[in-house]
Amino acid sequence: MSVLPAPLQPVRPAFLTRVTPVARLVAGMAWLVASIVTLDPIVPVRLILAAVVALVLWSGLPLRRIPGRLAPLGLAIVSLTAFSILLSSSNGDRSVAAVVTLGPARITGPAIAAGLAVGLRVGVIALSTLLVFGPSDPTRMADSLVQQWHFPDRFAYGTLAALRVAPFMAGDWGTIGAARRLRGLQPRSPAARLRETGGRLLAMLVATIRRAERLALAMDARGFDSGIRRTHFRELRTTWRDWLTIVVALAVAAAALALPR
Amino acid sequence: MTTDRGGRIALESTAPPSIEAAGLCWTYAGRSRPAIEGLTFRLEPGRVLLVLGPSGSGKSTVARALAGLVPHVLPGTWQGVLRVGDLDVAETPARLLGERIGLVFQDPDSQLVMSRVDDEVAFGLENRAWPREAMQARVPVALAQVGLSGFERRGTMTLSGGEKQRLAIADLLAAGPGLLVLDEPTANLDPAAMRATFEQIAALARVRRHTIVLIEHRLEAALPLADDVLLLDDSGRQLAFAPADAVGPEAVRLLERNGAWVPRAWQGVEAARTNETGAAETRRATEAGPLLLEAAHIRIAYPADESGTHLAIDGVSIAVRAGERIALVGPNGSGKSSLLFAMTGLLRPDAGTVRLRALPRDDEAGEPMRDPARLRAGEIAARIGLVFQDPELGFVARTARDEVSAGARAMGRGRGRDAHDDHGADGVLAHFGLGHLAAENPFRLSQGEQRRLSLAALALRPPAILLLDEPTFGLDRRGTEAVLRLLDDLRAAGQAQILATHDPRLLPACERVVALDAGRVVFDGSPDAFLAAPPYRPAAPWRDGVALAITSGTAAVAGAAGSR
Repeated sequence: MSVLPAPLQPVRPAFLTRVTPVARLVAGMAWLVASIVTLDPIVPVRLILAAVVALVLWSGLPLRRIPGRLAPLGLAIVSLTAFSILLSSSNGDRSVAAVVTLGPARITGPAIAAGLAVGLRVGVIALSTLLVFGPSDPTRMADSLVQQWHFPDRFAYGTLAALRVAPFMAGDWGTIGAARRLRGLQPRSPAARLRETGGRLLAMLVATIRRAERLALAMDARGFDSGIRRTHFRELRTTWRDWLTIVVALAVAAAALALPR
Repeated sequence: MTTDRGGRIALESTAPPSIEAAGLCWTYAGRSRPAIEGLTFRLEPGRVLLVLGPSGSGKSTVARALAGLVPHVLPGTWQGVLRVGDLDVAETPARLLGERIGLVFQDPDSQLVMSRVDDEVAFGLENRAWPREAMQARVPVALAQVGLSGFERRGTMTLSGGEKQRLAIADLLAAGPGLLVLDEPTANLDPAAMRATFEQIAALARVRRHTIVLIEHRLEAALPLADDVLLLDDSGRQLAFAPADAVGPEAVRLLERNGAWVPRAWQGVEAARTNETGAAETRRATEAGPLLLEAAHIRIAYPADESGTHLAIDGVSIAVRAGERIALVGPNGSGKSSLLFAMTGLLRPDAGTVRLRALPRDDEAGEPMRDPARLRAGEIAARIGLVFQDPELGFVARTARDEVSAGARAMGRGRGRDAHDDHGADGVLAHFGLGHLAAENPFRLSQGEQRRLSLAALALRPPAILLLDEPTFGLDRRGTEAVLRLLDDLRAAGQAQILATHDPRLLPACERVVALDAGRVVFDGSPDAFLAAPPYRPAAPWRDGVALAITSGTAAVAGAAGSR
C-alpha cells in the first residue's frame, strides 16, 4: 500500500519530450550555473520566468498538477528567504539605511536583495530539475547516459533498478511504523524515540536488502552484466532538437546575466 | 538464441534439453547442512517436471542450480554433476546457460527490472546482445504469446499481479530458451490470476517446445501438467523421481510425513470422506459473542493522478463479534489491505467511522466502542493486532524471547524488564514450537518460524481482534496447520480473527466469508454459500481452489468442495 503521489509524467507530446535527457541535463546545468554566479536577484527572476514559459509551452507535463507538487518546496523557499533576510549580516551595517525597523531589529535593502537571491535560486533549481527529469522517465535518462555519454551499464541500469526499489522502501517504512505502534510501542522520551527510529530503520534496511538481493538475482538470471557488450532496444541519437535546446538554454542564461536591469 | 559466424540471429527457441543429475549436492556458504543432497535423475527433453517437497526442502535451490545461479552467482560448495542438454552446469559460464534457460521467480515485484513493459521484455535480449531490429521484431511476439499484446507502453507497476507474472514469462520466452524453470510463479496471485497463469503454462507444455521444471505448492493445478515428479524431503534429499501417474501410496505417505501438501487425486476416497465429517464438526456454529468492532460506510481514496480519484474502499460496513473467524477475500487490488489498515485506525478513512473495544469480562457490560485513532498505542495493542504477510516488517526486538515479551511490556503493567514476562515468554515460545530459538535473532529464523513468532508475539497479551494478512503465505501443509492450531488456541478466549487471504483452502476453517471486489463488499455469509456461488467472474478458480482444504485444528487434507 503506497502513499506516494503518482509521478509527474508528460500527458501530451511536446518538444522537450523529444529532446534526449542528456541534452536537457546540459541545458539545466547552464541555468544552474547562471543562477549562482551572481548575487543579483534579477538573474534568477529572469530564469524562473523562462522556466515557466518552457514548462507551459514545451514540457508536456500536466500543468494543473505542477503547483500542487511544488507547494511544499514553495513553502520552504519562502521560509528560507525570510530567514536569510532576517539573519543577513548587512542588517548590522549602520552605514546603510534601514528599510524596516522593529525595536532593536532593523532590515536593510542589501539584506532583502541577498535573501531574495538565495530563495529565488532554489526556485531556479526546482524548476530546471522539473524540466530536465519531468519530460521522460528515468529509464530514458539511463539509456541516454549509456548511449550518448558512455556511462557503464552496470552503473546506469544498476541505479535504475535501485530506483525501482525506492517506492517499496516508502511503503515498508509506513508498514513498519504501523506494526510498531500496533504492538504498543509509543516512545515518549527523546532517547526512546531515537531508539525507536533506529529499530524502524534497521527493519526497513533488512527488508530493502532482501528485496534488492531478489532483484539482483533476477537480473543475473537474465544475463545482466555477464561480460557481453549490451545492445540497446531503444536508440537515442543526438538530433538538431538537442542542439537547439542547448543553444537556446545558453542564450537565455547569457541574457539573464547580461541584460541591463 | 544462436549466433552463427555471420552474426545473424536464429529466432527459434533452442531445442528442449534433457536434464541429468548425478549425486548433485549444494551447500550454501556459511551453512553446515546441504540445501540439496544426492539428487540423481534423468528428465527427457520436452517433458514437464514437478518438484514437490515441504518448506526448506531445497526446491528453489534446484531452480537456481538449473539456471546456473548456483554455483556461478551464489557462493557455496558444489558436488556431483548436473547436465542440461550437452552443457555441464558447473563448467559452463552463466551467460551461456542463460541463453538456454529461463527462470521465473515467486515475487512479481522483485523480478521486473524496467518501468515500461516493452523495455522489460527487451532487457534480457539487450543483455544477450541482440541486434535492435531482432529485438523490435521479438518483443511483440513474446508479449502476444502470453496474451499481453498492446501492453507495450504500459508501466510495469500499473499491471495486476497476474499480468506481472505473465510479463515475467514473456521476458523469458523472448530469449527463446529450451528450458523453462518456474519457481512458485503463482504464490502471490489471487485464484483467478493463478488460473490464468497455469493456463499459460499448460499452453506452453502442450506444444512440447520446452522442457519445463515447475515448483508449486498448488498441486491440484500443477499436477495435471506434470509428466514426472521429483519428491524431496525436508532436508533436501531425494525421496523419489517417477512419472506423475505412477506415484504410489508410499510416496503420498512420504510427503504427508514430511509435511508437504498432497494432491487429493492421490488420496483414498475414504480418507477424504472422514475428513469432511471432521470439517463439519469443527465448523460448529459459534454463538454470537459481544460486538468488538464496527466499521460503517468507510471510503478510502488513493492519491489522485491524471485519471482522477480512485477509491480503494467504497462504502464498506462490517461488524465483528467476539469468537468469530472471518475470511476476507478478493482479487489483488480489491482493497483488502486498505480495509485492514483502516480497522486499526492507522489509516484514516476519507469518510465513515471505525469503532472498537476490548473484550468485555464476564462480569462487566463492557467498555463503550471507541475510535482507534484516538487510543494510545498501549490501549490499541490490547484491542487490535495485525500480523503482516511479511512478518519481518513487524519485528521489534533482538531476540525471539524479547519479541514475545516486548508487546506485553509495552502494554505496560510493569516498567522495564519483568521476570514474570520473560518466564511467560519462554512458555509461549515452547507452545509455539520455538522454545529452542528463544535467544535467536528474529530476522534469522526461517519463513515458517517467523510466521509463528509473529503470532507468539501477540500471545502473552492477546488483542481482542486479530487481523492477519495472508497468514499462510508460502507455508507448506505442516506450517499452515501449525498456524491454524495456534489461531484456535487464541480464539478459545473469545478473540475475533480476520484472515485476509487468497488461499481458498483456508475458507472451511472460518465461519464467515466477507468478499471484496473493487472496494465494495460483494458477499458476506458462510463459506459454503460463498463456495457454492463465488461472486467473481470467472468463479471457477475460487470454487475449485478449495479442493485442498484443510480444516481448523485437524491434520485433514480434504475438500469441502471436493465432491463437486
